[in-house]
Amino acid sequence: MTEVSQRPEAVPDNVVGGTPPPRPRRRLGPVPAIVVVVVLAAAPLFLAPFATTTLTRLLVFGLLAVSLDLLVGITGLPSLGHAAYFGAGAYAAGWVSIHLTPAIPVPLLVGAAVGGLAAAATGWVAVRSAGVYFLMLTLAIGEVLAQLAQSWDGVTGGANGLSGIPAARLGSEPLLGVGYLYWYVLAVGVVAFALVWLLARSPFGATLRGIRDNESRMRAIGYSTTLYKYGAFIAAGTIAGVAGSLLAAQQRLVTPGDLGFTTAALVLLAVVVGGAGSLWGPVVGAAVVVLVRDALGPGLGGHGELLLGIVFVLVVYLLPRGAAGLTSLRPFRRRRS
Amino acid sequence: MTGWVAANLISVLNGLAIGALLFVLAVGLSLVFGMMDVLNLAHGALFVVGAYLAAALAGGGPSWGGFLGALGVAAVIGLLAGGLLSAMTEPLRTRSHLDQALLTLGVALIVAEVLQIVFGDDPLAVPAPPGLDGSTSVFGAAYPTYRLVLIGVGAVLAVGVHVLVERTTLGALIRATVADREMVAAIGVDNRRVKIAVFAAGSLLATVAGVLGGPVYGASVGLDSTVLILALVVVVIGGLGSVKGALVGALVIGQIESLGRALLPDLASFVLFGALALVLIVRPRGLFGSRSGAAA
Amino acid sequence: MAEFTLSRRTLLALFGAAAATPVLAACGSSVGGGSTGSSGGGAGGPIKVGLVVPQSGVYAALGTDMQRGWELWLQQHGNKIGGRDVTTIVADEGENPQTGVPAVQRVLQSDQVDVVVGLVNSATALGAAPLMSEAKKILVVTNAGAADITGKARTPYVWRTSFQNAQVAAAAGPYLAQQNVAGGVFLIAPDYAAGTEVRAGFKAAYEAAGGKIAGEAAPPFGTTQDYQPFLSQIRQSGAGAVFCFFAGAEAVRFVQQYAQFGLKDSVPLYGSGFLTEGGVLTAQAGAAVGVRTSLFYTDRLDNPANTAFVQAYKAAHQSAPTCYSVSTYDAAAVLERALAGGAALDGDSISAALGGIGAIDDSPRGSWTFDGQSPRQTMYLRTVEGTPPQLSNVVTQDLGQKAQV
Repeated sequence: MTEVSQRPEAVPDNVVGGTPPPRPRRRLGPVPAIVVVVVLAAAPLFLAPFATTTLTRLLVFGLLAVSLDLLVGITGLPSLGHAAYFGAGAYAAGWVSIHLTPAIPVPLLVGAAVGGLAAAATGWVAVRSAGVYFLMLTLAIGEVLAQLAQSWDGVTGGANGLSGIPAARLGSEPLLGVGYLYWYVLAVGVVAFALVWLLARSPFGATLRGIRDNESRMRAIGYSTTLYKYGAFIAAGTIAGVAGSLLAAQQRLVTPGDLGFTTAALVLLAVVVGGAGSLWGPVVGAAVVVLVRDALGPGLGGHGELLLGIVFVLVVYLLPRGAAGLTSLRPFRRRRS
Repeated sequence: MTGWVAANLISVLNGLAIGALLFVLAVGLSLVFGMMDVLNLAHGALFVVGAYLAAALAGGGPSWGGFLGALGVAAVIGLLAGGLLSAMTEPLRTRSHLDQALLTLGVALIVAEVLQIVFGDDPLAVPAPPGLDGSTSVFGAAYPTYRLVLIGVGAVLAVGVHVLVERTTLGALIRATVADREMVAAIGVDNRRVKIAVFAAGSLLATVAGVLGGPVYGASVGLDSTVLILALVVVVIGGLGSVKGALVGALVIGQIESLGRALLPDLASFVLFGALALVLIVRPRGLFGSRSGAAA
Repeated sequence: MAEFTLSRRTLLALFGAAAATPVLAACGSSVGGGSTGSSGGGAGGPIKVGLVVPQSGVYAALGTDMQRGWELWLQQHGNKIGGRDVTTIVADEGENPQTGVPAVQRVLQSDQVDVVVGLVNSATALGAAPLMSEAKKILVVTNAGAADITGKARTPYVWRTSFQNAQVAAAAGPYLAQQNVAGGVFLIAPDYAAGTEVRAGFKAAYEAAGGKIAGEAAPPFGTTQDYQPFLSQIRQSGAGAVFCFFAGAEAVRFVQQYAQFGLKDSVPLYGSGFLTEGGVLTAQAGAAVGVRTSLFYTDRLDNPANTAFVQAYKAAHQSAPTCYSVSTYDAAAVLERALAGGAALDGDSISAALGGIGAIDDSPRGSWTFDGQSPRQTMYLRTVEGTPPQLSNVVTQDLGQKAQV
């Protein structure tokens, strides 16, 4: 492997930043981020219920994609089993909501903890492999966990899924309206996104990027790269668990499909569509997938997958660096002109 | 007790038949990946193209004409599809495997959808050719004759591919490309031609496997992803880019799917991926893995 | 930079296309109010129905039959249910709740339907139930067979016109017990919820009638291409018959491999009727001849309602109807009975009305009633007869009225 891919800071990792611009190039600073959050927060006031429901679903899937981007884009570990931790968090949050309490933040914390624990339990073997073998090992882990969800009837409800999850409760008030549920998901999503963003900006994140670009060099200068990768894996699993608990609150149903191959593959492709490594790009990628599959798909007479396939092919050729490639070029062009 | 042994011997035999089919399916995927570093997730869709062709041309009833015709048409379509995929992935050669995955999975979704539109939603069956559609007594129990033939066909193809890759000039070029692509380019060989050739051959094997597998698996919606995952498991267990690896991987998975399920019926749903995880934990690059494929 | 402008335009076009669809552009507010307005509950006003059936994925063939059943009823009744003009909005259920639940949400929230009809997947039906309860609208399930839908997870807003997994399997239990099968019956069904319900339902009914289970197997669901290991197990068990539950491509492969491995002639094959229902029977061809299954319907039923139904269906579609068509046809029939009595379109009124409609005596499946919110209906033992490709399920015996288990 050559060192041409050495680019620790060449690609801006985040344009929707939350802190003052460290470089003149990032003149926009936190403004776009604030605008996006304000627009998102105001959305339910103007959107019809189904649009809000779709947007909620999109945020949940988007957060999952962000957590995966921590692995794929920041650390260079393409996981095809990331849905397992999403599902584990969702089952845990759903189970707690049914059997103990749906009061916020209990299901959220339990989902995060279980997602993180599941990642910790399986990640130590996964991070020792790399590339396509990592891809396949995570696929195997994900499929075994999905099968477990399928077989462990007593807890998961088997193939019928864990249904009858009560609405999340804020104090004594259940979040029944689609708008309130949306705001809950948005609030948690923004906080979780900020956490991932801070993690990616931290020295820890810089080390992860170093590992992505040249693992042997990082090892040579004394980093325990396996330990760092393991840490990233657990962090990603924890955030996926948070996304899972939001899924349980939003869908009110968790099934083995939520941690299976299809979900894992779609979220990985969402990261690629959006542009790996940018953190916000994968949210856009997730939006594309959710819009095509859940919002447009049901009305296409069964041709939702065809549209999804066409979108994937087009993105590969027209957006070589995913959606995130668009904005990373913008400052460049402005400076030239 | 003898009944138990005989039953398990049949499972072993059956594992060979499934393994033979998996080898034909997976060897192309392994070579394309090992050589040109292209992760072709449309491989399962190619298999299903073959299966539907078999159902269309030989589905009416056992007939040699239909079956051989399907094989021929599938081979041509496989060659063309391989060339097309090779051309489509050419602009991506400097990009990551994930971009290739996105492209080829997009193609797979489109192909699957078009097949469903053309051939309908119902699962279709493919009868074995006349003379092979019956059963033969093996260890005192009836066994489908076609599957015995499948073992032979698989063995012939395995030997053929082995000789081609290990004993011919073209094979030497292929192996050299697997080992060091830049080096081969440096000595003046056009990488793209080698890539097109291998891609076409690998895709041909996939569509042919679809026809051969027709009498066993039939043709149905959703078969493409099941088959794709099986093929990926086979090549990863064996190690990418190696004919020997694909063969061993196919035989191992054949036995796991057959004998493994017979011996561990309660864990039947777990054995495939359990075995994959186990192999990758013990040998992180598969049983015969080379350097390639380590980078994403 | 040309590439960039092109790319951005493409992306904008992509999002523009998505945003421009009525789905997202619809104005309004998602806050307050809770339930959304509907097309008026007054008598005689129009009714909007969301038909959520699979149009893609492995169950797409079932979805086609279901939609045809629904449309045939409407066509025969001047496109009116209970005197109201019907607008049907079809949405694709896909194959799992990841696509099915959003489809239900779409017809409820975006299209604002009054009633939802359809659903193949049980998990989707269970996931849709709370949505229906909160919207206070009726869902008529026309396939999904999980017991919980009208059992443990019952809500007054979810009714079913199809069957219950265990109900269909249990019907064959006493019959096989009476046959005194030497060596007992081997039970095989996929390793997932519906398969488990079938095994439990058959086992309880068969053992209660004095039968003995020779063995059980649960092949992995959705990933089993080859049944040889399980067929060997059956042979070794010494069972005198097999009862199974498979559907779709799995049903085709199981029945064919059962014949290929020589079990067909020595160990008679029985199953839940989905094994040989509809398109799969054509694909199974000769291997299916002689297979016996229990189900609440076959197009060979001899009653005037069915004769007329089959004739009209074949005239329209050049193929025979299936149990999936009948369940959805009957969904329209029960809604007709509920609304003809003058019920308003809200869920509470329809639910109350459905509870009092009595026997549906003009159904192609024969007369049936709601028992709880799922059918109590006659089960038939059917035998596959004919020569390929002209195969059909002929009634061998009336297994009597069965309630849900």
